[in-house]
Amino acid sequence: MYCMGKNDHAAISAILAGDKEAYGELVMRHSQSLFRAAFRITGNEADAEDVVQEAFLRGYRKLESFESRSEFGTWIYQIAVRCALDKIGGHPADETSRVAGADDPEQDEIQVADGAAGPDRLLLSGEIAALQERAMRSLTPAERTAFVLRHMEDRTIAEIAAALGIEPNAAKQTVFRAVQKLRSRMAPLRMKR
Amino acid sequence: MKHLSEAELIECFYNKNKAANRASRHLERCVSCAEAYAELQNDLALITPAEPPARDAAYGARVWASISASLPRLEERKRRWLRISIWSVLSYASACALLISCAFYTGRLWEHRQPPITAAKQSPPETKQRVVLVLLGDHLDRSERLLVELKHADADSTEMVSPLRDEARSLLAANRICRQEVKQQDDPALAEALARLDHLLAELANQQDGLNAAALARLQEEMNSNSLLFEVRVLRSRIPDQKPAENSRSKGGAI
Repeated sequence: MYCMGKNDHAAISAILAGDKEAYGELVMRHSQSLFRAAFRITGNEADAEDVVQEAFLRGYRKLESFESRSEFGTWIYQIAVRCALDKIGGHPADETSRVAGADDPEQDEIQVADGAAGPDRLLLSGEIAALQERAMRSLTPAERTAFVLRHMEDRTIAEIAAALGIEPNAAKQTVFRAVQKLRSRMAPLRMKR
Repeated sequence: MKHLSEAELIECFYNKNKAANRASRHLERCVSCAEAYAELQNDLALITPAEPPARDAAYGARVWASISASLPRLEERKRRWLRISIWSVLSYASACALLISCAFYTGRLWEHRQPPITAAKQSPPETKQRVVLVLLGDHLDRSERLLVELKHADADSTEMVSPLRDEARSLLAANRICRQEVKQQDDPALAEALARLDHLLAELANQQDGLNAAALARLQEEMNSNSLLFEVRVLRSRIPDQKPAENSRSKGGAI
């Protein structure tokens, strides 16, 4: 029986030898980091939880192909990113929280997601948060994922490329396009500063 | 001065820890690019990472509890794969063994139905005849040279006479083989000439005390009276040369 507290590779060896319970150790060890990344990509708590479960299920099914040279944490993280990408690719934008004119940057200054917003709530911080959310939703799933990984998760271009299954140069271009779009969307705030 | 593009500024922003970055050095010297970079920094600073809702320490355990039931044991899967593999390997092995057995049995049957191939069938008569002719031609060549040397031999020169006797002994054995071969052919002239050659070779080979003048004279007389040398030359001329092409080639090469 696998002894709790050993490293990831020992746990994987135990799982491959038939000790299914050893996978529980890996799940408990990496769930938090996967949830954090999944939430940032999907922007939704329930979706993020689904992504975490799906990632661990896929990881278990592919575990026999896992190369012992790499880190399990990095490997399962990449699987989670792809699951999250699938998730937002299926329904890229949450239409219920999207307001009319989302694609029109000129209206970003006067419309926010919350329809019940009054003048007292149009504080700058709230405006920034709303604009940021709208700007993020304007990105394609790949752009959003690449930007989240680069800007928020501080992942390298090589890691992003591996997670998205694309070439590093393509990953760099995707990040670049995402930043350009976001800056364009956030331009109204630049006027106010 | 070439200014930095937006892509280079973005790359510089995310790689700001690299001191050796070319863009970083440019920013220190170029005011307009520095302003553009400051603007980019401000824009990206506004995009703060969304703080995910806190998950308690038991979150991992909950995730595990939700998925553990649907995970099969990998060993079981391996064993199932192994069973399939063993069965398929056994099937392949049985099929191969059956195929080999059939091929072997068919081969045996086919072999029994075929008449045995004898050595005589394997070598056609033409080939044997060609071999006999080559041997006979070679034997007559050597005999002719011996008879020429015997004709001009001097009994006083033992250095010359002694090799004659040795060559005669060697030719005697070959001559008997040739006579046996010739007996099977209908060629009385050749058979008679070989018989006389046999007699002469036997006398020459059996000179125990060396070849003295009297014995040499007797042998020379016998050879002349029989016209043996002439007859050997005629017989040799009847046998076709085995290497005409080679000879012509060597002649052509000399030219």
